[in-house]
Amino acid sequence: MERPAGIFDVRYEQDMAIVRTGPQWAFLIGFLILLAVLPVFAGSYFLGFMILTGIALIAVQGLNILTGYAGQISLGHQAFVAVGAYTTAVLMDSFHWNFWATVPLAGIAAAAFGVLFGLPSFRLKMLYLAMTTLAAQFIIIAFFNHAFPDYFHAVGGIRVSRPELAGINFKNNEAFYYVVIAIAVIMTIFAKNLVRGRLGRAFVALRDNDLASEVIGINVARYKLYAFAIGCFYAGVAGSLWATYYRSVNPLHFHLDVSIWYLGCLIVGGMGTAVGAVFGVVFLRVIRELVTIISPFLSGLVSPMDAPKIGPALAIISWALVVILFLIFEPRGLAHTWEVLKSRFRHWPFKYSI
Amino acid sequence: MAIFLQFIVGGLFLGGIYTLIALGIVIIYKSTRVFNFAQGWMVTLGAFMLVTLVEKFGVVIGVIGGIAFGALIGIVIERLLMRPLIGQPLIAALLLTIMLAHVIEGINILIWGTFGYEMPVNLPGQSIKFAGVVVSHALLWGIGVAVAAFAAFSLFYWRTLMGRVMRGTAEDHQVAQSLGLPVKGVFSLSWVLAGFLSIIAGLFLGVVSGVHYIMYGSLLGAIAVVLLGGIDSIVGAIVGGMILGVLQSLVTGYLNPALADVIPYIVLLLILIIKPYGLFGLVRIERL
Repeated sequence: MERPAGIFDVRYEQDMAIVRTGPQWAFLIGFLILLAVLPVFAGSYFLGFMILTGIALIAVQGLNILTGYAGQISLGHQAFVAVGAYTTAVLMDSFHWNFWATVPLAGIAAAAFGVLFGLPSFRLKMLYLAMTTLAAQFIIIAFFNHAFPDYFHAVGGIRVSRPELAGINFKNNEAFYYVVIAIAVIMTIFAKNLVRGRLGRAFVALRDNDLASEVIGINVARYKLYAFAIGCFYAGVAGSLWATYYRSVNPLHFHLDVSIWYLGCLIVGGMGTAVGAVFGVVFLRVIRELVTIISPFLSGLVSPMDAPKIGPALAIISWALVVILFLIFEPRGLAHTWEVLKSRFRHWPFKYSI
Repeated sequence: MAIFLQFIVGGLFLGGIYTLIALGIVIIYKSTRVFNFAQGWMVTLGAFMLVTLVEKFGVVIGVIGGIAFGALIGIVIERLLMRPLIGQPLIAALLLTIMLAHVIEGINILIWGTFGYEMPVNLPGQSIKFAGVVVSHALLWGIGVAVAAFAAFSLFYWRTLMGRVMRGTAEDHQVAQSLGLPVKGVFSLSWVLAGFLSIIAGLFLGVVSGVHYIMYGSLLGAIAVVLLGGIDSIVGAIVGGMILGVLQSLVTGYLNPALADVIPYIVLLLILIIKPYGLFGLVRIERL
């Protein structure tokens, strides 16, 4: 880890600290204050954008632990989000639970499903494991689509109401924004810290060479399951918020494309860095919003026959193409670009860079 | 009994389509170690292109043009997207083909829209009656072409010089390169062959069930076929394809169509748990 010139660590606490210098504290606190006061001057549209970004961020942080750190590619992350969403929805709809009690339970349910579909990872890795998660995607969604129609209501979906706490009603987006952002910030910090400890080191060793890590005493099978459990716990919490934000749960929401989109966020941001997940999600979300804004104009330019095609086509092509460009030209993602920029700034006017 | 036979023939046809797609995936995987997730989407793109070309230029020129287009897709993907990734982790290539699948889906919607097309090709021959069952000749064509493609590729791999070069490249890229084999040429050729196979699959699938941009949904089952048969096995592609096709058809007929949609994934999960390298796949032993 590079430090600005003249800053030396003389104690272990300094060496381990995430936030190291005064300006970093200033930026961090400034950013948190900005997040806190945002609803005061931001419109409802922008808040909706922020809420969805926060929910996606929680899911992608989980995927980052599972794929970025532990190296277990998951093509079915949205299915685990669905498990969380359905847990919350069914508990609130059929059993009249309190929303706040269902959130951790949604995480735990998703983690249980994750461990179940992670079990083949004892024998499989890489491509083969990615294919089991692909199977998980389709099997779980088919399960919600066809099993227990009394609880899951199949294609009709379940209606979910927004929660209340201490007299505050979270029906409007301004209040719900705080719930999502608070959980997203807490879970990002947790993810960042988790991977700095024993668990995270084991994950990284596992990712870089599973045979070697087994030789040096890491119980590969157990740590793979830990990765699945933690990654899917994140997905479950994200699903719980997803259900309450959209106020309904429907199998159609949890399509394979979204799972792939999460992976795309990870690639764009940079796998294996907590800040990369943030960059990736924000970047692809912004692109998605830009496309929604631009496509009506483009539709106007072509003949009326072709106009309805533009929106859905651009919505897919835009992000997939961006991810391809990142894979080819910057496989380490925006997190690496960010490091390079910081390094340039520190060494300016010299040309040192990392 | 007649119904049963009907389902078997339908299943064999589906299995034939699966085989054609799985063959494409297997051929690319064998020589480049890249798992082409986008093969099903390439079939969709090829089928759309065939519809357009056949409507414009008639059947003969249209189909020839379509096949040329398939080879072109293969070479463009290899040159533009896969070549820059040589030397990067293989998982990057897998992720790239996944993203490529979405780009192709977007292109399909952009050009051909979200409605279905009919493939304006009449296959020679007519439906035949066999043991009291009327069997559409299109189904038989599909099955026959799949078997022929399997036979042709087996012969190509085991009897021709180029096939031997491809098998050599599949063993070890660096050794092959140092022995003077045209490794990059083999990569290109594999993608061209896969593009060619995707057009053939698109043609017969299009004749039987029409062309629609969400066609890939049913074609994703080919991934289960590849893993069932063994990811680097050409025999596995046809055996796995036929097993899965018939199984899916029978489940549709006798149990529940909704269950049939997830049958490939259940098979996929089971085979990966029981026999991870598939029925005919080469078991690779890893060393530190």
